[in-house]
Amino acid sequence: MIHPASLPLLVWLSPSFPVGAFAFSHGLEWAVEAGDIHDAETARLWLSDLLQHGSGYSDCCTVALAWQAATDHDPERLRALAELTCAMQPTSERRLEATMQGQAFMLAALSAWSRPALETLKPALADGVTYPVALGLVAASHEIPLEQTVSAFALSFVSNLVSALVRLGPLGQTDGQRVIAALLPLIETVSHEATRATLADLGSCAFRSDIASMRHETQYTRLFRS
Amino acid sequence: MLDVISPSDPLPLKSQLPAYIRARGLIAARLQDSGRGTRVFDLSEAGGYRLKFPHANPCEAMIVNTGGGMAGGDHLVLSLSLGPQAVAVCSTQSAEKIYRAERDRAEIAVTLTLDDAADLAWLPQETILFDGAQLHRQLSVDMAANATFMACETVVFGRSAMGETIREAHLSDHWDIRRNGRLVFAERLRLSGDMQALLDRRTVGAGARAIATMLYVAPDAEARLDEARTVLAVDDSAPVEWGASAWNGLLCIRGISPEASALRRQTAQFLNRFRSSPLPRVWQC
Repeated sequence: MIHPASLPLLVWLSPSFPVGAFAFSHGLEWAVEAGDIHDAETARLWLSDLLQHGSGYSDCCTVALAWQAATDHDPERLRALAELTCAMQPTSERRLEATMQGQAFMLAALSAWSRPALETLKPALADGVTYPVALGLVAASHEIPLEQTVSAFALSFVSNLVSALVRLGPLGQTDGQRVIAALLPLIETVSHEATRATLADLGSCAFRSDIASMRHETQYTRLFRS
Repeated sequence: MLDVISPSDPLPLKSQLPAYIRARGLIAARLQDSGRGTRVFDLSEAGGYRLKFPHANPCEAMIVNTGGGMAGGDHLVLSLSLGPQAVAVCSTQSAEKIYRAERDRAEIAVTLTLDDAADLAWLPQETILFDGAQLHRQLSVDMAANATFMACETVVFGRSAMGETIREAHLSDHWDIRRNGRLVFAERLRLSGDMQALLDRRTVGAGARAIATMLYVAPDAEARLDEARTVLAVDDSAPVEWGASAWNGLLCIRGISPEASALRRQTAQFLNRFRSSPLPRVWQC
């Protein structure tokens, strides 16, 4: 059963929460165009790579580090993490994806889900914030347990991208659900690892995911902003 | 552990040396505009590393590792600072080979400081990782808002032309680029474990054996994105996959290829066309 304290996560990470997640494909639109993703199996492989070796893993670690910094009431650590994760975005569109959603999430949280701890720490993010930092901070200020925050984030990372793939065509609705179901054990493992992350765990080697995002910038027809 | 020892292991003796005789390399130099070109001041060298200046105008600084490669536990600390208006290109005499590490990783720490209107091209030749290599590299750049910085780093995973494969290895490559005190670009590259299997994955390398990252930070960086893309598209015969993006006053380019030589050739072609001055001679072969 979901612990009542964690219920807000279902709201914050649902597609109806106003962060604009529907507008971003994380470079998948190019990967589909280039034929790298063309069915459920290639989709599953691409997303599992992101979760193990790419932005998915690094973002999970970021959520955990932000949660820790906020729980420790450490604005300087939070500021440094926001600065680092903004600077780590590998392309113009990925930076937009990470910071626009981060800002929108902060705005919605401050308007409707405010907490004293959130108000106290928000000046640390005045120079820009990425989405996983914003989520980690807001979840910590609502005293939502770390592990549930990270695994809910990892699941939403996957389901947002699957939703993009369904709209792009290579997956039907049912195949999309099969991909999410197949990735659930990995989501659990990765989020469990990420809860013990240090700054040294941030990073990626998903070069072709970064290149896909770069190529997306000049793609002829586009549904997505990234 | 026998299964991870390859018969072609190039330097078994060197890698078994005890920690107290591991190399501790150091290079520190200040480059300043003398009114008649950029000259070197305050040069320190230690531990088998030298900084040579084979070409004066524009100033070329060439790093020489007389030890020939790095093994586990070897360290290199390099710092270059460029005074106002100083112009230099820094490269390496040869590709840096990173051999198998028995225990500790090899570490390279590079710190570059660019004062007002300084212009530095950091263009080392490729780093070649051997099976069992462990390398941590940190590139820290602190530049003035109107300075110009170009970097190119290429990593080759095993000498595939010689039939070598790379299995267990580790590479972490961190870049922190600060302009006017603000962190504008951070690279956190992390590759660990079975490199060949990792590089074969479609999201990672789709069979790549060499990767290159180029970064251009300058007042005109974003305005030159279309030009960079055009230059990269000139030669599409070789099996190199390129991408380019620009934001925040910088231009970032990534290339990957299953063939290290093709990647090197195209990288050199790009640098020759994109930069206003020719590449150092070591790049010409």
